[in-house]
Order: sequence, then structure tokens, then C-alpha cells
Amino acid sequence: MAKSLLIICRQAPWSGPGAREALDIALAGGAFDLPIAMLFLDDGVFQLQPGQHAAPVQQKDLTANLQALPLFGVDALYSSVRSLEERGLLHQALSPATETLNDAALTALLGQYDQVITL
Amino acid sequence: MTHLIVADRSLALDKDGYLADLNDWSPAAAEALAAQEELTLSAEHWEVLHLLRAFYAEFQLSPATRPLIKYAALKLGADKGNSLHLNRLFKGTPAKLAAKLAGLPKPTNCL
Amino acid sequence: MATLHMLSHSPFSDSRLVSCLRLLGPGDGLLLTGDATYALQPGSAQLQALGLMPDTIALFALEEDLQARAIAAPPRVQVVDYPAFVELCATFAKVNSWL
Repeated sequence: MAKSLLIICRQAPWSGPGAREALDIALAGGAFDLPIAMLFLDDGVFQLQPGQHAAPVQQKDLTANLQALPLFGVDALYSSVRSLEERGLLHQALSPATETLNDAALTALLGQYDQVITL
Repeated sequence: MTHLIVADRSLALDKDGYLADLNDWSPAAAEALAAQEELTLSAEHWEVLHLLRAFYAEFQLSPATRPLIKYAALKLGADKGNSLHLNRLFKGTPAKLAAKLAGLPKPTNCL
Repeated sequence: MATLHMLSHSPFSDSRLVSCLRLLGPGDGLLLTGDATYALQPGSAQLQALGLMPDTIALFALEEDLQARAIAAPPRVQVVDYPAFVELCATFAKVNSWL
């Protein structure tokens, strides 16, 4: 049985390599059919804002790539209620859709996975 | 760098034979790339190539095999979104070969 | 499944410590390495926050990094050297590095 992995993504989309690295782990693992989940925490929730554009900052389109996660078998997507609320995103339509969890539920979520990595 | 001559134009290819510039793609380029692979494109091939280009337009990446199959099943139905059908059309390596013919970059994370 | 959370960034310029404290569950551990050991700076809000953690959460700090920064570990902190650090990682079900 493959070990399950939770990737905690807490970097904003265009600020550095962190967000891209987290997504690459998820896509690679998904392509190999590994049980992978992603949690968007802190500035990581900014990745979920619709209507972003990679071209003006001359980067690969991370936010477009994110939409492919379910096709790569990564369906378990979560975000922190607190992080969303702090950033005024809690009641916005976000993409891809995530299950929103409060702090206590996040602690429980970590417990459910064999391995956790935070980027 | 190798080149592919299509309609008197010389198109640059990368070391794996993929188009270096995605904008160089045309149906004629696809035919020429297919000829290099000793493949004649049928309507069924074209259906997948168009599907891949739609995938790339939507997600900005080339799918590995599993997501390609999933996407094909979603858009074309289960009789076409399965590995048997896609393997038969693209010599057993649908993600790599179809991406090449569709003018997409080589898929990363590919089995 | 207890998790050892490993921090290495300064809590004065970064929110990792704050976020990590919210995610800790009973039985989890927190290991401070590198600039994360500045969280033990006397009189800081960060040290105060660490003091408020329930007793069920173990707090560790890497000896070399404390020494390098001239930081004295308060009684609650278990100071570990590199061999003990390795052992510690094996004690917990998993290690979560906050990269």
C-alpha cells in the first residue's frame, strides 16, 4: 500500500519557486497514482484566486496548472478557513474548489496522512 | 537542433523531436511529424490531437498518460477515453507521441 | 499519528511558527533549528507563545544552533545535538518540515 502524502502549500503563486514545487510534487505523485492531498494555508490560498495571469510576470501558468489536479487524480483539496478569512477570500468563488477546514479540523487532517511536507 | 520542413518553412525541433516553438504548429506540421513516426493521421487521431490542444489551452501543460485518459473519457466518452484505444492510435505511448504531433511540449511526470 | 514539526526560519520575519502552533495536536513535537531558535529569545512574544503550548506538546531545539546564536534554552526546551535529532525524527510517526 502506497504511503499517503499531504502537501501543505503556503506560498503565494508568483513570489518564488515554492508554489510551483508543491504543485510539481502533487502532479508527479498523481501521475503515479499515489494518494495525495493538498492543503492551501497562509498565503498559499492566494493560489486559488480566479482570473490570475502568468504572462505579465513571465512565469509558467501555475493557476492554470492547478485546475488539472483532479485530472491527475489529486481530488483531495483543502484550504484553511482562517487563512481565507484573513485575506478576504472566505466568501469568494475560488478555483479549484477546496474543502474549507477550521484549525481543529486541520490538526485532525494532518493526523490522517502517513507523510506531510510543507512548502 | 534538427529541423522539419513544412510548406517551405523550416521548423525547429528539440532534442526529442518536439516542436521548439508551439506557435509553429499547423495541421500540416502534424502530418509531417506523423510521417516521421511512420503514422498516417486518421479522423480518430485528429480527434485526440484536438483534445490535447484543448487540454493545453485550458491547463497550460502536457498531460501524462493517466490524466490524458481521464480527460478523453470526460470529453469524448468512455469508448475513447481508455488506454486500449489511445495505445492503438499512438503506438503504445499516447501521452508522448500524441503530444508531439499536437505540437505540445513533452509531458513531464510521464510514466 | 504524532508529528514532529521542524522549523528553521526566524519567527520575527515569517509566519511559519504562528501557523505551526495552530496545527499542533496532542503528542506532537516542535523542533526549532537554524533561525527558528530565535523564537526562544527572552522577552519576545514568540517565547511567550511557546510557553502557552499545552504540556502534551514537546519542545526541542538544536544545540549547535542555540550555541551559535548565544540563546539560552528555557527549562521547558529539550536541547538535542545532531545524533539526538536523528533519533528524535525516528521517534515520531512522521516529520513535517516547514520549508
